[in-house]
Amino acid sequence: MANLRDLRTRIDSIKNTKQITNAMKMVAAAKLRKSQDLCINSRPYADYVERVLFLLQQKNNTKTHPMLNTPNPNGKILLVVVTGDRGLCGSFNSSIIRYTNQYMKDNNDKVYDLLCIGRKAYDAFKRSGKVVQHFTNISENTDIDNIYPVKNAVLTMYSSGEYSKVEIVYNEFKSAIQQELQCKQLLPIASTESESEHYVDFLYEPDEETLIEELCTKYINVELWHIMLESNAAEQAARMTAMDNATNNATELIDQLSLLYNRMRQAQITTEIIEVASGAEAIQQ
Amino acid sequence: MKKIHIELIMPEGKKIDEMVDSINVPGVDGDFEILPDHTPFITKIRPGTLCLNTNNKTTKYAIHDGFITVDKDKVIIISEIAESEKEIDLNRAKLSKERAEKRIFNSKDEDIDYRRAEVSLHKAVARINTIG
Repeated sequence: MANLRDLRTRIDSIKNTKQITNAMKMVAAAKLRKSQDLCINSRPYADYVERVLFLLQQKNNTKTHPMLNTPNPNGKILLVVVTGDRGLCGSFNSSIIRYTNQYMKDNNDKVYDLLCIGRKAYDAFKRSGKVVQHFTNISENTDIDNIYPVKNAVLTMYSSGEYSKVEIVYNEFKSAIQQELQCKQLLPIASTESESEHYVDFLYEPDEETLIEELCTKYINVELWHIMLESNAAEQAARMTAMDNATNNATELIDQLSLLYNRMRQAQITTEIIEVASGAEAIQQ
Repeated sequence: MKKIHIELIMPEGKKIDEMVDSINVPGVDGDFEILPDHTPFITKIRPGTLCLNTNNKTTKYAIHDGFITVDKDKVIIISEIAESEKEIDLNRAKLSKERAEKRIFNSKDEDIDYRRAEVSLHKAVARINTIG
C-alpha cells in the first residue's frame, strides 16, 4: 500500500489550501464591512448632488449644455468597464467580461471604444484593440480624490465631441451574497424630472451656466466614485462567498480523504497481523 | 427666535445637522450671511471659513469647495472637504502654504502646477484663517 503516503500528502496540501481560503474569507469580510459602510454613507451626498442638479435644470429650460444633451448624436460610444484587480472572487469579473463581449457582439454596427477600470478588464480586452485607456490598482483606495484621473479621462474624451454617449458596466452591491450587473448611461446626464417636487424660484450666483458646468463635473465625479464603492463592496462580497464555498469544499474533501486514509491504514494493519499470525502458525507446526 | 436648519453633507456622511441662528458662508462672489427667511438661493463655495452662530457662540469650519442651497430656513451644503477647528493641523497648513507660495513663485503661470499650487494655497489660507 504505497499510496498511503500519497494520501497523507494530499490531505496536508488540502489543509493548507483551506487555511488560505479561510484567511481570504476573513480578510474579504473585514474589507466588505468597511466598503459597505462607505457605500451607504456616501448615498446622501450622491443623492443631494443629483437633487441640486435637478433644481438647476428646472430653471434652465434650454438644456443646451453638452453634458445634458449630446452635441454629436452619431458619435462613438464609450463603454467604461469596471472590474476588480484580483481574481478568486467567483463570477464577479467574468460576468462583467461576458456582458461586455455580448454587448460588443450586439452593437457590431456601432463604433465603440472601451475604457477599462481594473486589471481583469484590461487583461481580457487588451487584445481587442478597442481599449483607449485603462486604470489599474485604483479600486482598493476609496478616497474620492482617487477617482479624479478617471473622471478627467472620461470628461476629456466626451468633451472632444467624438462620442455620443458614455455607458458604464459594473457590479452593484445588493447584499453579501448577491451582486447585480448594471449597465448605466453616464453621459449625457439623464434627466431626473419624474420627481414631483415643488418649483422654487432660486437665485443663482454666479450664473446658471457656470453652476451647471461645475455641478455636472461634480455629479460625474460623485457618480463614478459611488460606482467604484459599489463595485468594491460587491467584489469583496463575491470574494467572501467564493472563499466560503472553497473552505467548505476543502473541509468536505478532507473528511472524505481522511475516511479513505483510515480505511486503508486499517486494511494494511489487518494484512500485517494476518501475515504475522500465519508466520507464527507455520513455525509452531 | 426663528432658527435655521443646517446640514453639511460630505462623501463620508453627514457632518453637521443642527439648528442655528445665522450662518456666514464664503461664496464665490463674496462672503454672505444667512439669516432666517432668506430668499431661495444656490451658489458655489470658495475656500474659506464657514461660521455657525448660535446664542452668540460661533463654531468655525474650514471649507474648501462645494455648493450651498438655501430653501425655506433649510440650508444644505455639499462639500468634499470641511474641517472643524479641532481637526485642523495648523503647522501642516503653514508648511503647505509656504510650499504652495514657493511653487507659485517658481512656476510659469497658467500651467497645471500653477493652478494646483493656487488651490492648495487657498486651502492652506482657509485653514489658517479659521484657526486665527
